[in-house]
Amino acid sequence: MSAEPQVAAPLLSVRDLHVTYRSQGGGVPAVRGVSFDLAAGETLGLAGESGCGKSTMAGALLRLLPQGTTVTGEVLLDGEDVLTMKPGRLRAVRWTEASIVFQGALHTLNPVHRIGRQMAEPIEVHDAGISSGEQRRRVEELLGVVGLPAGRADDYPHQLSGGQRQRVLIALALACNPRLLIADEPTTALDVMVQAQVLQLLEDLQQELGLAVIFITHDLSTLSTACRRLAVMYAGRIVEDGPSREVFREAAHPYTRALSAAFPVIGDMRFRLNPSGLGGDPPDPREIPPGCPFHPRCPVAESRCATEAVELWPTSRPGHTAACVRVLGADA
Amino acid sequence: MITVDGTLSPRRIAWQRRRRAVAHGWADYRRSVPGMIGLVGLLLIVGMAVAAPLLADASQLRAVDSIGNPTWATPSEFPPLGTDNLGRSVWAQFVWGARISLLVGLAATVIAIVLGSIVGILAGYSGRVLAAVLMRITEWFLVIPFLPLAIVLAAVLGPSVRNVILVIGITSWPSTARLVRAQVLTLKERLYVERSRALGASSRYLMTRHILPSVSPLILASLTLTVPVAILSETTLSFLGLGDPTRASWGKMLDEAFSSGALSRGAWWYYLPPGLGIMAVVLSFVLIGQALEEILDPRLRERRA
Amino acid sequence: MTEPLIEVRDIHVRFRGRKGTIARAVDGVDLEVRPGEVLALVGESGCGKTTLARTILGLERPAQGEVRFRGVPIDYDNASLRRFRRQVQMIFQDPNGSLNPRQTIYEAVAEGLRIQKVEGNEVARVADALSRAGLRPPERFMPLYPYEVSGGQRQRVVIAGAMVLQPELLVADEPVSSLDASVRGEILQLMLHLVQDTGIAILVVTHDLGLAWNIADRIAVMYLGRIVEQGTTEELLDDPRHPYTRALLSVVPEVERMHPEILQGEAPDPTRIPIGCRFHPRCPLVASGETARLGIEERCTGEDPSLHAVGGAVAASVHAAACHAVALALR
Repeated sequence: MSAEPQVAAPLLSVRDLHVTYRSQGGGVPAVRGVSFDLAAGETLGLAGESGCGKSTMAGALLRLLPQGTTVTGEVLLDGEDVLTMKPGRLRAVRWTEASIVFQGALHTLNPVHRIGRQMAEPIEVHDAGISSGEQRRRVEELLGVVGLPAGRADDYPHQLSGGQRQRVLIALALACNPRLLIADEPTTALDVMVQAQVLQLLEDLQQELGLAVIFITHDLSTLSTACRRLAVMYAGRIVEDGPSREVFREAAHPYTRALSAAFPVIGDMRFRLNPSGLGGDPPDPREIPPGCPFHPRCPVAESRCATEAVELWPTSRPGHTAACVRVLGADA
Repeated sequence: MITVDGTLSPRRIAWQRRRRAVAHGWADYRRSVPGMIGLVGLLLIVGMAVAAPLLADASQLRAVDSIGNPTWATPSEFPPLGTDNLGRSVWAQFVWGARISLLVGLAATVIAIVLGSIVGILAGYSGRVLAAVLMRITEWFLVIPFLPLAIVLAAVLGPSVRNVILVIGITSWPSTARLVRAQVLTLKERLYVERSRALGASSRYLMTRHILPSVSPLILASLTLTVPVAILSETTLSFLGLGDPTRASWGKMLDEAFSSGALSRGAWWYYLPPGLGIMAVVLSFVLIGQALEEILDPRLRERRA
Repeated sequence: MTEPLIEVRDIHVRFRGRKGTIARAVDGVDLEVRPGEVLALVGESGCGKTTLARTILGLERPAQGEVRFRGVPIDYDNASLRRFRRQVQMIFQDPNGSLNPRQTIYEAVAEGLRIQKVEGNEVARVADALSRAGLRPPERFMPLYPYEVSGGQRQRVVIAGAMVLQPELLVADEPVSSLDASVRGEILQLMLHLVQDTGIAILVVTHDLGLAWNIADRIAVMYLGRIVEQGTTEELLDDPRHPYTRALLSVVPEVERMHPEILQGEAPDPTRIPIGCRFHPRCPLVASGETARLGIEERCTGEDPSLHAVGGAVAASVHAAACHAVALALR
């Protein structure tokens, strides 16, 4: 493809996405108006803590949320709105255009089926006429792509280590050559070295296959090197969006600043014997404070923060936006 | 509010909270229609059994005192439930017989539950050798078919209410033991048990303060579901003639109804009441037990959320 | 030099697996914990750090070697262990699981006092422990159940429950890994304050080098049951010598001065520890041929290296690494 990424239409365009869960006490708004674009081949990191809505958003992109959940807004995949697709078209799109890698590979793989059989499933579903020999060949090819020996296809999930299982999940997600990969906490339960291996794999795949990747995690520090762009979520909204290195180390939003300070830089004396954290707890989605949802915990909150609505405003740096009144008028 | 000088002690606070939890539990229970039906049914039957002396004269149970009565009288001839082949009032037998069924059912269940819980907790908690021995004993009792064992024991010990209670208790404890043991095994691995051990707790402390309270809901639910089994067992034993011949019981009523030919005579007032009575008691307990399980389980889950 | 609080000498802890295999979880460790210091035990899963921590606490018995507290070896009978537990306490990784959901916070904290039959005003002691752990006013928290407070507060309750006995050593197994990132700082700060206020020593078991940089005075890195490098935090993280430590440090996202050395494969399990240097199958020095060039290849595959002090170590601590290449460089 010779077209410049900036000129072509984005691969994924999310517009004002709202997701509300059904519960006994009424609706629980997990995602409250999220909008972003993703170009083909681009990597976007989505960071946030528990309850911010990032996993809900991941599920919403492919309509994988439980029945009864209200989803409004638009999710335009190559111009087509996923949220209004007919079931047949949705099934066709799932996995072939966009696929998802979940966390907790131990529970995502069926323990009583061999790996090869589980990997062949999506291939079979989307290409009914394929011969079993061709299937097998494709499975082995995929295992090779993720750095596993072909013989692993005959093993059961419990015979593989955590890192190997995660690789299998990635291979599964690539089975139908999607253009977008959504990775929801893919390395969280893994050891640091295995995490590094899986991240390296994702980076290589992204470059070789021109994949667009949405990388969702709570570990802000890994995103700063794994993704080119970084968005931070809080209380169901994106509160900062920009180049990852910048967002991580020169954040415009007080929340991002507090969050990144919780990841110490080894060798930097400012972090030596000086753990830094944020008091209080993330808001319960049922009781989000008015104005800026972060203001009760914000170290630099002003009086207007409790009443004025916030949205993503541009900062003084290009491509970097933040939902904080302090970027308005002042130098970020 | 607790104050540091102890004017309102933390123990009292804890008790208040527990009482409130029980009150909530009761409110939840009231919402369960089957549970309330079961409870009302059980209360009626228990009420009837307790009020037996007021409802029917005990003398009407004895054949020797019923000589003046017509035999095989229908309920319209001899209210309220007619008479049997010896002229004894069926109503008196029904009302007084309820006592035996309930008494045996409850007493035998208590024995079974206590025995089963102790064995279950010990087996779950002890070292390999003791646990293995206990489990083998449990399995032995589980495998032996109830009826032959009960018959043998009843024959050996002699027919009396006390012995019936014993027999049923001895044969019913294994299922509770297995249930409790399985729960204890998972609880043993819980982190807060490990933490207690790290604080210096002895095995006895762990068993009584952590494991037992957490197993209690399970035991309670098991109890309400074991009682009907015990009552049915008593009925069976009495029906086979192994119960106490001097006391009226529903099982004995059924036995005598059948052996005296009530079926062929169409004397429904003799065999229907005890049969329906058994059904009613068993159903009540089952409904209560199910309602309790529903309350106890999701509450625990909800609390941990 | 002050007498160490905990001294571990040549400890071996073994577990029997199925089919009779033996897992050498801790395979010969010498370690010291000094009064008032924070020591980080760093390693990946399966390296034996949690087993070592539990052995120090007396929850596991070593097959070989001994654990000494203030110079006296631990006695493993019930009464002695209970006395020992007043001095050494542990907090676990999962604050949710660590608290009995049926006990109020008051009861959870008072439990230690009751088990140890500590005399005195129980309510006052519990209130004090809760306050020190940052839960103020303590009366507000006492009647609550664990599910009624947040994850960070639960961990504070666990810390209060350990501190109420006024121990001299606190063993913390991954104390913040299950908490949200923004909450971690508070808990770590609390731990540092406790060290300053009470003079307690803390042994932190973690996989996170960043956490060690944040709060630890000294670090010991474990691999497959052995300590492969130890030293002060500055020494070890500014100038790591062992190839495993270097690899671990290199993959931390912001460490830019090192080229990321992503080791292949995963650590073998403790039932199949390699002969010679246990790290050699994954060692980048072996893979790159460096060891052959240095002429120590046979030693790496045949001889188990012991900890050697590396040059320039400060007197009070010894920066040491168990590596043949490092030992060679010192000659």
